[in-house]
Amino acid sequence: MTNLAGSRPQLEEKPTKFVPGQPDMWMFVLFESLLFTGYFSVYLVSRTQNEELYLRSQAALDLRIGVFNTIALLLSSWAIARCVKASREGAYRPALINASLTILFGVVFLVSKVLEWVKEIHMGNTFTSNEFFQHYFFLTSIHCIHVLIGFIVLGVVVYQLWSPVRRSQQLVETCATYWHTVDFLWVLIFALLYVVR
Amino acid sequence: MSLPKMKTTEPLTMPDPPTGSRVSRLAWNFRHHPKRELWFAWWVMVIFYQLYGVLFFFVTRVQPPPSPAWDTPTVVRWFDDHDFGILAGFGVVFLVAGMCAPMNALLAYSMRRMSVSRLFAYSYLIIYSLAAVPGMLVMAIAMIVAALRPHRDPELIHWLYDFAFLSFSGTMGVFMIGSLVWMVAILLDKNRVFPKWFGYLSLCNALTEVVVAPAWIFHRGAFAWNGAIAWWINMVVFVLYTGVFIVLLRKMIQREDFRAGPLPALPDKGEAAHSDSVEAVR
Amino acid sequence: MSTTFNRRLLIVWLILTSMTLAYVWMDHTVDQNGTLRASTVVTVSAIVIALIKVRIIFREFMEVRHAPAWLCRLTDAWVVLIAACLLGSYFVGSAVS
Repeated sequence: MTNLAGSRPQLEEKPTKFVPGQPDMWMFVLFESLLFTGYFSVYLVSRTQNEELYLRSQAALDLRIGVFNTIALLLSSWAIARCVKASREGAYRPALINASLTILFGVVFLVSKVLEWVKEIHMGNTFTSNEFFQHYFFLTSIHCIHVLIGFIVLGVVVYQLWSPVRRSQQLVETCATYWHTVDFLWVLIFALLYVVR
Repeated sequence: MSLPKMKTTEPLTMPDPPTGSRVSRLAWNFRHHPKRELWFAWWVMVIFYQLYGVLFFFVTRVQPPPSPAWDTPTVVRWFDDHDFGILAGFGVVFLVAGMCAPMNALLAYSMRRMSVSRLFAYSYLIIYSLAAVPGMLVMAIAMIVAALRPHRDPELIHWLYDFAFLSFSGTMGVFMIGSLVWMVAILLDKNRVFPKWFGYLSLCNALTEVVVAPAWIFHRGAFAWNGAIAWWINMVVFVLYTGVFIVLLRKMIQREDFRAGPLPALPDKGEAAHSDSVEAVR
Repeated sequence: MSTTFNRRLLIVWLILTSMTLAYVWMDHTVDQNGTLRASTVVTVSAIVIALIKVRIIFREFMEVRHAPAWLCRLTDAWVVLIAACLLGSYFVGSAVS
């Protein structure tokens, strides 16, 4: 099902039901979240087998950095959601601005993550230090790979929005769906690595 | 009635398919069916994967993999328990390893059918041909060498054990790049050879293969070569992915029209029954 | 009309952010001077709150609210499935250790 973009003005009460973006991307989203859930379950089970070690190691993480990361990604999700809505209304300049903001917040997230890794490594906590840090570096790295792929995906959004001959609303929505996945996966990773006790 | 829809690009003048016994239809298909090589390759692929599963999981029992954390006496005992299975199983693997060729060729063919450059197909072929060497054959050789002489120095047996499993798991990167080549081809393809969701599934599979890389470092835990993350989750995704692409390749062959444009959708049930009667290979 | 949407998105973002900040308070009540303490309550709450956030992201940011019923049900089922896996892993693991 495709979106009836621009064919009627936005009515809050009864919008047409549509699947945002390609349904294929939704299959990816659901499958990938299941995969990550598998990784999270392995983490949680091994955590329960070794609580002391995990608590001690977790103390080396700074909760505030995690919060900052989460807020950065929530801002980026917010921006791409605004972008999709703007592009649906035909407001392509604001849409492009929002897409750029998404990239900006994504970069902020990435930079702060790298800085955090450097900090942890300087403190002596590396991938091989202990089980907690194995999971920490693994989950954050594989998430960052998704962020990097996300930049390519956002590049597709910008490319689409730029020229009037393209501007496929479905493609923009598909890419936005991917980016939101990157965001909600981080929400889960943050809760499990930083907050869980 | 003669063959439907096999139009312009067919240079051959095929005799009409017989409507007689199954055997005569099979013989006709063997000699004249335009897709016989494709179906052959597909069946080779199916049989290969069944064999692979049986040989690696049940005969040799090297999968699920034993632990890298074992000490030498335990490893030697493991070889004693598995020696006949290893020798017989990997002996068969050596015989059938060549079945990979039609299988990889079929996948490369799918890329040739796409609207993307032929570079994708060629790259894929090269990568996967090379990948089978460390990814399967080296393990087979090392395991057989270790099992051949049970009274060999235990340290050497342990060495061969490490060599085999690291070669098998640790070289996942080559397969991963191959998967990515296929994935990019699928996502860029305008001929709709595969659905886009399969491209995304390939990405998921490639990512689980990335995850095997730490097997080089760890002796225990989730990232060792037998770990929950590096092996179990990876294997579940891989089996699913393989099942899916076997089905999708079958659909591709059914849809194939030997042209260069978008691959047509599968005909509806009535017509499919008619064109399927041409292939009595089932 | 677009301002209605934009205001709604802003409110959603504010809710998600405050739920994130709530984590700081949660951990604060359990930890003592930098020493972290195990707490089932915190763990379960953290996971549940995270999943509520995920559902909000699904419905508001990813526009599942405007999607056909099957997608709404599927994403809700997914949230429940993830909750079952995570909480299940935690409780089964705790029982076994």
